[in-house]
Amino acid sequence: MTALRVPHRHASPAASAGEPADSGPSGTVGPPPAAGRPGPAPAVPSIEFETVSFAYPDGTRALAEVALRIEPGESVAIVGQNGSGKSTLVRHLNGLLRPSSGRVLLDGWDIRPIHVARLAGLVGLAFQNPDRQLFAGRVSVEVAFGPRNLGVCGAVLEERVGAAMEEVGLAAEAGTNPYDLGYSRRKLLALASVLAMRTPILVLDEPTTGQDARGVARVRAVVAAAAAEGRTVIAITHAMEFAAESFERVVVMRDGRVVLDGAPDVVFAEAAWLELRASFLEPPAAAVAGARLGLGSTPTAAAVVAALGRSRG
Amino acid sequence: MAIELASARYRYAGSASAALGPIDLRVEEGRVVGVAGANESGKSTLCLVAAGLAPGVIGGKRDGSVRIDGADAAALKPHELAQRCGILFQHAATQLSHSTATVFEEVAFGPCNLGLRIPEVVERVWAALRAAGVEALAARDPGRLSGGQAQLVALASVLAMRPKYLILDEPTSELDPAGTTLVADALTRVAAETGAGILLIEHKTDVLARIADEVIVLERGAVALSGPAAAVLADPRLSDLGVEPPAAVRLERAVRAAAIEWSAALAEAVR
Amino acid sequence: MALSSPRPLAAGPVLPDYVTRKPSGFYRSLNPATKLAVAVLEVVAAFTIPGWSGPGLVLAVLVVVAAASRTLRSLIVIGFAALPLVASILVVNLFLLPGASDPIARIGPLAPTWSGLWFGLMTAARLLAFSSAVALAYLTTPVDDLLADFSRRGLGRRGVFVVGAAVQMVPRTIERAGEIMDAQRARGMDTEGRIWRRVRGLVPLAAPMVFGALSEVEERAMALESRGFTAPGRQTLLRVPPDRLIDRVLRWLAAAGVVAIAALRITGKVG
Repeated sequence: MTALRVPHRHASPAASAGEPADSGPSGTVGPPPAAGRPGPAPAVPSIEFETVSFAYPDGTRALAEVALRIEPGESVAIVGQNGSGKSTLVRHLNGLLRPSSGRVLLDGWDIRPIHVARLAGLVGLAFQNPDRQLFAGRVSVEVAFGPRNLGVCGAVLEERVGAAMEEVGLAAEAGTNPYDLGYSRRKLLALASVLAMRTPILVLDEPTTGQDARGVARVRAVVAAAAAEGRTVIAITHAMEFAAESFERVVVMRDGRVVLDGAPDVVFAEAAWLELRASFLEPPAAAVAGARLGLGSTPTAAAVVAALGRSRG
Repeated sequence: MAIELASARYRYAGSASAALGPIDLRVEEGRVVGVAGANESGKSTLCLVAAGLAPGVIGGKRDGSVRIDGADAAALKPHELAQRCGILFQHAATQLSHSTATVFEEVAFGPCNLGLRIPEVVERVWAALRAAGVEALAARDPGRLSGGQAQLVALASVLAMRPKYLILDEPTSELDPAGTTLVADALTRVAAETGAGILLIEHKTDVLARIADEVIVLERGAVALSGPAAAVLADPRLSDLGVEPPAAVRLERAVRAAAIEWSAALAEAVR
Repeated sequence: MALSSPRPLAAGPVLPDYVTRKPSGFYRSLNPATKLAVAVLEVVAAFTIPGWSGPGLVLAVLVVVAAASRTLRSLIVIGFAALPLVASILVVNLFLLPGASDPIARIGPLAPTWSGLWFGLMTAARLLAFSSAVALAYLTTPVDDLLADFSRRGLGRRGVFVVGAAVQMVPRTIERAGEIMDAQRARGMDTEGRIWRRVRGLVPLAAPMVFGALSEVEERAMALESRGFTAPGRQTLLRVPPDRLIDRVLRWLAAAGVVAIAALRITGKVG
């Protein structure tokens, strides 16, 4: 099996959007290309949590033997109430947290020996609170921070920053001070700063909270675009509609364990409602309506329409 | 008795253009008025102006009139405003004083500041904890609460001031579904039991559908839509105004768009 | 969000125990001002009474009081923290006491002296007595009690709030710093590499801390105003450490003791 391609500080990861990576020759790093020029793209790795348990220093058990496998290119929504372990779980992906027991594998390789700064080239994590990371005087500088740390510079950097700002709708605010933007646009800025890193795995922590309809639409578009590029997208969310409509797989967590895992029409089907409610969650309104009308599992409005169309022959 | 804004306009200190106005609004006792709108449409500014905090505490320039139970908000001092209008913001962490050791003392912070006698303080604290549904947390350390618990404690500490009106700026935005339900239920309970008038800003239109009596939608600082909650939330112009309609409305639209008849059975299924 | 809800037993107008937090034990239940006065007496005695009797007497008293108030173990731990300082004083005096002429041995150019050893040990004992006196006052007096006593004696609510909030701010700031570091590391910032690279990380770590704190200021100020922070008049104090006769007697005795020791020292009657 090819070794895990962790981007070397001078090798810029995937330069062209829309092209899933090719794994290239085996070996952890390619020869360092000229600074700023794109190097070979890292392949999108598979993710595996191998009976991962985690307890905080004060003893709180946050994860209890989680076994989860995410294939390259999957889009997964992780749902659960506060304290169920969702944030703890995704922080294991970029090394911010290391398992108390068990292993986290990317493409079959244990990531424990790899530094956080290097994993950042593979896993981009957008945090829930943007104010914990904003430090620059201009939006464009803020967005450029991530890719700069990964060794990107020059024209490639400019292109990436421009594209990321465009994707979240902040292209016109390139010179604005981040704190002159409202809270919801600062969240989009934080998202852009991770998008500009063009990581093969994208993790979003509560991307839609505090967003208005346009902001939510942008987030959905970002998720769809990343998935279309073949990147793995993982989102922690409270919004069941968002989970049902934008993701092909939903993982429900409770008390540090995975209790439900499958496509939206499985996880939100009536048979699973008992488990959902035990996790303090409610199925989306479309699922409830579909169940009341005897239409089978209809996690989204579109599914309801399709089922109604079928039932009318 | 109500909070009344008449042709109210507001400009932040140091800003060239008005963030809000002209606006006419009435929040009556015992009624829940919901406010929706795209980000930066003036919703938060409306909260601050209605509560008298703008310009009272944060400066800026206000035109038109804001009256709370007939009294001009500009003439009231901050602690007098506090006893008429309680305000709750999005982030629970910034609303706790972080200078108290237990939730009880945190909720007692307000009444103690007013110099009330201890028996009255105790009574108000328990009533407020009960109304917010967090009596069980009374002995806990406020710094160690979860987001939802902290927000409910913040609500209790505002209720302890016995305000006649409650103004809430996206109180559930950072809460999980269970926390959102707790806050929504607490608000309904407060309106029913204490007769408080509530002004509630929310992106989650499902919450507004559940608990608001009337809804206004803001666009660029002015009222674009207003009326009974059910009517406004079903208005086709909502999406253009940057507001996501409630799930039931979206479902109805999707069904109608597919040229399928929206029967009574369907309407019943989404209630 | 699990909120199991046992009804409180005494919902009458009585402050619950976890609020009044009455200390147990004689020494702990003394008024904070009394404990401070006693600490001052101990420090003066340790440094002014010559020879071994000063520090020896004080340390003996401290050990007895600490044992009685169950703080002996913590006191010993704090004592160990002073060990580096004690060791360096010992070494300095041992080798470098001016005018000493009774060497213990000769190790090359170094000549430790008996009088150096004697003097070093005595100074170390004084230091230990001083730090232990302060530590005992700290261990037996929660910050809340100290602040409550100060407010009773006239410290305004602003002073009390600032100190109380500052104390609680420390763990919160540490937590926030951790979150900021996580966020920046997740964007590839190097925190484990060469020193010059880590220095570059200073702004991305410090700036969010400062900006975050500043951007919260307005909202926190409004939250405080909404809880009547600027209401006129005296605020109600939920807990006031009692100031009993024994407290006043002990403070007078402490004051008298300080004066007596100082007088005896000055007039040369002692030392």
